[in-house]
Amino acid sequence: MEAFVAGMGLLLDPKILLVVFLGTLIGIVVGALPGISGSTTTALLLPFTITMGPVPAIAFLGPIYCAANFGGSITAILINSPGDPSASATAFDGYPMARRGEAGRALGMSAVASAFGGIFSVIVLIIAAPLLARVAYSFGPPEYFALAVFGLSMVAMTGGDSMLKNLIAGAFGVWLATVGQDLTTGVERYTFGIHSFTDGIEFIPVLIGLFALTELLEQAAQLKNRVEVARLSAVRLPSWQDVKDCSKAIFLSSGLGTFIGILPALGATTAAMIAYVETRRWSKNKEQFGKGAIEGVAGPEAANNAAVGGAMVPTLALGIPGSTTTAIILAGLIVQGVRPGPHLFTEQPLLLYAVFSSMLLANLLYLVLGLGFAKVFARISLIPAPLLWPGVFVLSVIGAYAPNQSMAEVWVAIAFGFIGFFMRRYGFSPAPLVIGLVLGRMVEETLKQSLLIFDLSWGGFLGRPIAMTLFGLTVLFLLAPWVLRKLRR
Amino acid sequence: MNSHRVAAAATAAIAIVLFALTFGFEQMPEGITRGFGAEVFPRLVLGTIVALSVALFLTSPTGAPLERIPAMVYYSAAAVIAFMALVPLAGMLPAMFLFLLALGRMWGERRAWMLALCAVVLTALVWAVFVKGFGVQLPRGYLF
Repeated sequence: MEAFVAGMGLLLDPKILLVVFLGTLIGIVVGALPGISGSTTTALLLPFTITMGPVPAIAFLGPIYCAANFGGSITAILINSPGDPSASATAFDGYPMARRGEAGRALGMSAVASAFGGIFSVIVLIIAAPLLARVAYSFGPPEYFALAVFGLSMVAMTGGDSMLKNLIAGAFGVWLATVGQDLTTGVERYTFGIHSFTDGIEFIPVLIGLFALTELLEQAAQLKNRVEVARLSAVRLPSWQDVKDCSKAIFLSSGLGTFIGILPALGATTAAMIAYVETRRWSKNKEQFGKGAIEGVAGPEAANNAAVGGAMVPTLALGIPGSTTTAIILAGLIVQGVRPGPHLFTEQPLLLYAVFSSMLLANLLYLVLGLGFAKVFARISLIPAPLLWPGVFVLSVIGAYAPNQSMAEVWVAIAFGFIGFFMRRYGFSPAPLVIGLVLGRMVEETLKQSLLIFDLSWGGFLGRPIAMTLFGLTVLFLLAPWVLRKLRR
Repeated sequence: MNSHRVAAAATAAIAIVLFALTFGFEQMPEGITRGFGAEVFPRLVLGTIVALSVALFLTSPTGAPLERIPAMVYYSAAAVIAFMALVPLAGMLPAMFLFLLALGRMWGERRAWMLALCAVVLTALVWAVFVKGFGVQLPRGYLF
């Protein structure tokens, strides 16, 4: 309780208030820029948080994650081009609403539903994360290994065009984490004589390459696409009737989004898509969906923001990322020397409550900013690509170079920019690779420790019920889609 | 061959090459490795990748061949490489300035004053924030 009060008290610190405000503002702006997602921005700004210290860093990155989802809805509604992938479902009904002159109403509902979903999930985070951490406190290496494998199996559903491709990308991420000196034997693996690889491949250049530089090449391929902008007179608060009509969708989607967010690796985009389908299923106006139903905006927006708090639960309590962006935030914390997990609740409670309080504040801030300045943010979304993307490249180069002041890391970022481009071209999502990279060391270390405990016998896992349950769930999640497909036939 | 199979074959080939490289790792005595040498875990992971790639190859649906990569992607990639080549010669800040002008122009911005303004402002921002603010030492070139 003392730490909770101290955490909330952080919001009285002008420096923390400033970073939360900046994070929220940047989150909305980049969310509104098509092509620059919350993940890209978090990856791009991660190097600049290194000098901040863990508490201001997380108070800066958390709000970006919260606000980018809302920012994405601005362009989804006005130009039918989601600024963030999580706002894709919002465009289905938001853009038709905007085309019939109701952009302000759609944006108002988006802001309110987003804030409700976000605050709901932070409350769940405050309650659930310590409980989960208490359970995980008794975990040993075999349980952590099983948990990490479970987390990796969940990447099968994170995007890309097939489960197998996601698993392959995730496994490549785990392999990438083996580059560098083996911690037990000191043997160098895949360093090819390059000195800077001895300590392993740094997260930051890989993240910048896979997200920002890959997107630069993707944008180069789409330069001929033109957008049609819907008119926006003013954003207005939803009417009482709108709130009544959407309350079921908002509650249902907030719950769904939080639950999906808690599942390792699944994030806001999946939550929004499922929420859209479920909102439509339970709506009395099914036939209006796709033509401009306001519930079709409220449901996905509540869900994608609810997934943010949900995704933070396994990230903080177990050290297993709940989504791509939390994988990046997790990498940022590791770079700062903080390893999230159950011990964090006893060792660094202030950090945790900084996360909770900054995310709560961010959800309130973007409600105010979204209602007051959506018109300005909508204008930002129209910055021409030839002016925006060269600037993103410059920031990427500085971001990759600055932490260690090494050009080798800029080359790594560029190499991963090209790798990411070809991955996407062949239907591989970079998200599983990032999650694999973040979890890779943990998987290897816990496997080694487990086998040492079991005297090198894999059968030792059979005597660990929690680990076996997690392995069982892994198999279930991997086989379920295949079994369901067979049953449908 | 469709794109899924190309992807499966490529990932399997990469994994096999990486697997082969593990035979070149330095060998340590049993007392140090405690039965789990540095090569074991990468081999497990790469073996899994090969198995998944084979499954992808065998189960991939027939798909249309991929569209050609637009020429602008190659030009942009070339501009990125040119930037990297320019850094040791001109220094990072001048290389950034030139890159901002060149890529903006290449991507279709015709207002020279706007390009120049953006390039100047962004380069100055990088200098003020990173060089002066954070004390980052940017690479200098032979010329600057």
